[in-house]
Amino acid sequence: MTMTSARRGSKARGAALAAVVPLFLVAACSSGSGSAGGEDGEIRMMVNLTDNLNQAYWEKLVKPFEDETGLKVKIEGPTGKSVAESFPQQLAAGTAPDVIQSIFPDDDTAPELIDLSGEAWAKSTPMFDEYAMGEAHYAVGVGTQTQSLVYYNKTAFEKAGISEPPTTWDELTKDLGDLKKAGYTPMQTAGDFQTGLQLQQIYHPTLNQLHPEWQTAVSDEKLSVGDAYEPAFHLYADWIKAGYINKSDVGLSPSQADGNFTAGKVGLYTNGSWFAATLNKAGDLPFEVGVFSPPAADGKEYPGPQGATMANPYMIRKGIGDEDGAKQLVEYLVTDAKAVEAQLGSDGVFRKGSQREQSEVDAQIQGVLDAAPALVAVGEGQGNVRLPVTGFNPKFTEVAQSLYTGAGPADAAKSIDQWVDENR
Amino acid sequence: MERTAASKPRGWRDLGARVSMVVPAVLIYAALLVVPVIYAFYYSFTEYNGFPHRVPEFVGLDNYRSIFESDDMTGTMVVTAVVAVVGAVAVNLAALGLALLLQRTNRFNTFGRVVMFYPHVLSALVVGFLWQAILGPQGVVNTMLEKVGTDSLPFLSDPDWALWSMILVIVWSLFGVQLILYLAGLQAVPADLLEAARIDGANRWQTFRAVTWPSLASTVTVAVITSGISLLKTYDVVVSLTGGGPAGSTKTLAYSILAVSFPQRDIGVASAQAVLLIVAAAVLAITVLVLRRRAEDDAESIG
Repeated sequence: MTMTSARRGSKARGAALAAVVPLFLVAACSSGSGSAGGEDGEIRMMVNLTDNLNQAYWEKLVKPFEDETGLKVKIEGPTGKSVAESFPQQLAAGTAPDVIQSIFPDDDTAPELIDLSGEAWAKSTPMFDEYAMGEAHYAVGVGTQTQSLVYYNKTAFEKAGISEPPTTWDELTKDLGDLKKAGYTPMQTAGDFQTGLQLQQIYHPTLNQLHPEWQTAVSDEKLSVGDAYEPAFHLYADWIKAGYINKSDVGLSPSQADGNFTAGKVGLYTNGSWFAATLNKAGDLPFEVGVFSPPAADGKEYPGPQGATMANPYMIRKGIGDEDGAKQLVEYLVTDAKAVEAQLGSDGVFRKGSQREQSEVDAQIQGVLDAAPALVAVGEGQGNVRLPVTGFNPKFTEVAQSLYTGAGPADAAKSIDQWVDENR
Repeated sequence: MERTAASKPRGWRDLGARVSMVVPAVLIYAALLVVPVIYAFYYSFTEYNGFPHRVPEFVGLDNYRSIFESDDMTGTMVVTAVVAVVGAVAVNLAALGLALLLQRTNRFNTFGRVVMFYPHVLSALVVGFLWQAILGPQGVVNTMLEKVGTDSLPFLSDPDWALWSMILVIVWSLFGVQLILYLAGLQAVPADLLEAARIDGANRWQTFRAVTWPSLASTVTVAVITSGISLLKTYDVVVSLTGGGPAGSTKTLAYSILAVSFPQRDIGVASAQAVLLIVAAAVLAITVLVLRRRAEDDAESIG
């Protein structure tokens, strides 16, 4: 009898425990203070992890800072597909990091970020003013990434009888025909994010000559994106029809497209300055690589403005435990000579006055950058020159891909306008 | 009297024990499933970017209206429906067919079951990348076709081809679980009924139609509902195989929620899309259950 009741008591206690423990677990899981900085003396930094910029690279980059200050920097990759996707999710979940690399502020994220306008060291960093939002500065960077570059195969050009890179759209179209006749893939494009990116990249100079600060014009409803890009859609549609761009490229991964160019099968390849890092890593290629700025608008000066973005932007989240430590870290990353040099060499990043030894391709890109009459905002825009929508690049890629799958330029223009109207 | 008095506290204690065993599960279920769904319903009627400094602003049915008025989003819903319906039929036909082939226990069939279940062990992301390497413009299949002098096939570069290729890959990756369900269901088919059918001279098809299929009714219901719900939530394979392309032709609702609406910080629209997905899953489950109940009622009325 006593034993039975004891067993029953034990059962009841076990049951009570079973009831209480999950409650604590649920409570523990759901308790979020909204401030999710690292442990004491630890700064959490979310970075873009790529083949070139891997975990080991970032840890090596911050090591001297850790040794000097005694602060610990925890490198974190994005929890989703990208930093752009993960940061808002983490902000909402109360688990956002202290320092965020690779993305730019916008109207939604700006209130969550520290304004660095008052920091003396920040003012001399590249493109500081171009990224101002009103009077505030939330992002500081290491250098400039050049967006509008066309890489070309000099051997292919010679075999096709092309003596000079084209400076007008007519010349470029003729060159594509000559490259095709010479047995090369005239222009390499790719699927995924790269379809829309490449179309934007090759058209930046012309677009900004015809419609300076076009993103602002769209915001002010003085221009539609469709009107701005329809001539570029026509060019692409014509090139696809003529077989200068393979329709099947739309199913090709960007790395396969890179591989086709480095294998020497391709005449022209539109890409950003980061592709130089891939070329430098590829070692000896079976041909010589040239780089030129895309054609200018008819009747306008060549070269046109160069699409450019702040390279390796860093932002600091508001309300973190160790704000001073995070500022020290960012100052180190964007001003320390060795840290800057390491970042310049890593992913096709350029900075005025840099003493870094450049490869031949790097030197050509530097030449394009130096010759550009202006550096202009790309895609959704930056700082005070921005479109009134978010998520522009993925949608633009979708529209650009529709040119490969049978849509006409007018349909593509209408489609992007419809999306902008729905999301404005 | 004494016995009744003594049994009361024991009854209370038993009840207390039972309640305390059930409550934790109910609480965990509520915290992890019911509460988020309630939040999704709430956010679906608001405009909200998900950030702590913003307060959700009530907008009524605007998010639902914008979903149904947007060609982009209605196209996404059509793709999701095609993937769910065609995929569920294909998964279950493949799984049932293979289960019938592999139901006898011998070494070959055991090996066959392991091989057939293997795709399900792989992460959906890996499955997508794997098939990208096989079906892509420069993938294994097209490279071989080019080597034998044939034109390559636009598995992932034509909108229609890409959709059917994606369904094929999803079916390949999913049917392992359904196969196990059908194998288990086939073990439960009464041997005496099969024996009786054979003695009565029924051929294989007649035996299957009159004995096996009715005995599998509950298994089929579970298999169709679980596969249908999995297919409605298709996301990972889209990311790794097609990226929603070409030209958005393979964007599913789940992909649109996670890769488009959330990154655009449109929590209200994302939540409305999620609510529609929940409703679609419920409609699917109820439809299958009603159809099954009706079939059973018809069978009973004939009997």
